[in-house]
Amino acid sequence: MNAMIYKKKWPLILFLTPTFLFLTVYLYYPFLMNVWNSFNRIGGMGEASRGLNNPPYENYVKMFKDPLMSTAIKNTLILMALTVVIQVGLALILALLVDQIKFGSQFFRTVYFFPIVISATALGLLFNLIFLYDGGMLNQLLTNIGLITENIDWKDPSHFFGTLMMPVIWQYVGFYFVIIVTGLNNISTDIYEAAEIDGASGLGRIRYITLPLLHNTLCTCLILAITGALKVFDLPWTMFPGGMPLDGSWLTGTYMYYQTMEMADVDYGSAIAVMIVVLGVVISQLANYIFKEKDY
Amino acid sequence: MKKFLSLTLALACCASVFAGCGGASSSAPAASSAASSGSAPAEIRVVTSYGGDDGNRVNFENAVKAYEEATGNTVVDESATSNEQWKAQVKADFQTGSEPDVLFFFTGVDANEFIKNNKVVSIEEIRKEYPEYASNMKDGMLPASPADLKQYAVPVNGYWEGMFVNKTVLKDCGLEPPTAETTWEEFMAMCKTIKEKGYTPIACSLAEVPHYWFEFCILNQGDPSQHVEVPASATDAAGQRWAAGLNQIKEMYEAGCFPTNTLTATDADTFQLMADNKAAFAIDGSWKVGWFAGSDDAAGAVENLDDYTVTYVPGMGERKSTDIVAGLSMGYYITRSAWEDPARRDAAVAFVEAMTTDEVVNTFAGGTPTALKSGMTKPENPNSMQLAAIDMVNGATGSAPAVQDSLNATARKQLFASIKDIVTGSVKAEDAIQTALDTPLADEDK
Repeated sequence: MNAMIYKKKWPLILFLTPTFLFLTVYLYYPFLMNVWNSFNRIGGMGEASRGLNNPPYENYVKMFKDPLMSTAIKNTLILMALTVVIQVGLALILALLVDQIKFGSQFFRTVYFFPIVISATALGLLFNLIFLYDGGMLNQLLTNIGLITENIDWKDPSHFFGTLMMPVIWQYVGFYFVIIVTGLNNISTDIYEAAEIDGASGLGRIRYITLPLLHNTLCTCLILAITGALKVFDLPWTMFPGGMPLDGSWLTGTYMYYQTMEMADVDYGSAIAVMIVVLGVVISQLANYIFKEKDY
Repeated sequence: MKKFLSLTLALACCASVFAGCGGASSSAPAASSAASSGSAPAEIRVVTSYGGDDGNRVNFENAVKAYEEATGNTVVDESATSNEQWKAQVKADFQTGSEPDVLFFFTGVDANEFIKNNKVVSIEEIRKEYPEYASNMKDGMLPASPADLKQYAVPVNGYWEGMFVNKTVLKDCGLEPPTAETTWEEFMAMCKTIKEKGYTPIACSLAEVPHYWFEFCILNQGDPSQHVEVPASATDAAGQRWAAGLNQIKEMYEAGCFPTNTLTATDADTFQLMADNKAAFAIDGSWKVGWFAGSDDAAGAVENLDDYTVTYVPGMGERKSTDIVAGLSMGYYITRSAWEDPARRDAAVAFVEAMTTDEVVNTFAGGTPTALKSGMTKPENPNSMQLAAIDMVNGATGSAPAVQDSLNATARKQLFASIKDIVTGSVKAEDAIQTALDTPLADEDK
């Protein structure tokens, strides 16, 4: 009976058509329009084009000369690297630790996953209070234990990067944690038991069994982390609006929003959006190539 | 059975995708029939800046409630706090065809785009159908749009910008609040004393709201009659005055007049220094009185209002300290979409008339300028800050509207964003002005 379903293609087409139409209307058409918009001159959201730029690729030339765009790309690439190393790394360590315990593992899964369910804007406001210069939690704590005598401006040029990266990275550790825990659950216990009989130590089991068998899961995390870093917007925008301090904290996502919504330079914002997509595709393909998925 | 199930599910998916389209088309006749009935109560969408922590929020809500009870109409109030983001949102609403029926908005160049696109109705056109519309206002004081010099908006309360003073901090520093005679040099000497005593002289976020100091530092370079001039380039007379004004902000920054974190703090963070008795001065507008004094249903941000006052921003050169920034910069617009729907037209006109009666305007104005024929009246039971404000406005020797309202929005954002670079020395004031004037799309409203 199952074979009959696949012989007749029309049920498949019927199932696929709605999603295809939805994606065409709400994703591919807007994306193509966005590419077209990047060559036009548009002075506000919803405004019609005032004609092609002169030359049409003007925004792409401007992008390479724009020092703030360079800052945005540099910061995004650093965020990407930190995301891959710290976010996925931390998630891996936590997942391995939780996998080792029998009592309370469900509790830790919930605790580590919890930041994901809080809106990024709410987290941004929360961290704003923690890092507040005058009366903020961190400054009060450091003052009370005698580590500082004067408040520290955690958003000034010498501190802002850590202040920006910490909550952004912390927020999604739980997301990768859950993916890796699921990957760990898929590894058969027979293999561990056999390794134990052969005298493999705890670290040895992780090195020679867990990590190789988690390879594909980690590859997925890697791709998600890379593309996710390019799209980060809400939390940095809440904590560091307008690229503060001194235009140092721009990310590709926040700079695109600023150009589009605040400066009403919709065509330049569109060009930045195209750049984000290109960066995402190129870097994730590169990562795919380097960390090829393996068949076991 | 499975075939039937597959087919049913697929059709259900398709139907759900197109459900939105069907819903939209079926609602149009319903709206039309409601409009044609005429007598049925109408629902109107209203956007104003009387949201958030605006001092007149409660007054506005009370006036809306009274209007709804009197007319049976319903008001969908989408008011918010006025800032650059709100202005951009209003502009986007017009561009996407989702403008409100009544809008309380700025009357300067910010409104040019929707006026040029015929999205709002002029008072002249409204008076052809409703001759009594805005008849309680002095026609000469109804603001004319810079786009075509026609009058569109009916103003409620005007505004003034002045310097709020923390008397507790000044007392601890052995100083008296500045007066009409205080000069700029004396003011800077006061700031130095305050700084040495360990306080922040001026509560201001140069990162977020440098607007007020921008106005007064430019006013300091000329007189009120010159203040309205927008430079064509950084090298003309107005451009030179702007450059000198911006350099004055830089001098204040270098002298440590602003909070340590002025380049990373929000306006709310720095204003809190006033409430916490950590800062001595802050410039803001008449709308900020509500923040200090509170309202019927909300306490003010400060413990004792009498520990604060408002006075003139000390002046220099040709500008007297008593020359202030004030005017009527906002008013009620009726949009074209509401005007062309008979039911919503009546409701919108009635709404604006209800919001601009002498009684309501006097409730809102609280001692600020109005366009009422009956003139400005003192608020009932004024608090000490309102009395100080009335004294300030009455004692003014000259006034000019905020020049930033005459500057194209894109150029203004560009210029304000570069103030942080000017004060830290990475950009020259002249270059920042020229860059702002040359900003792509900034030529739209010239």
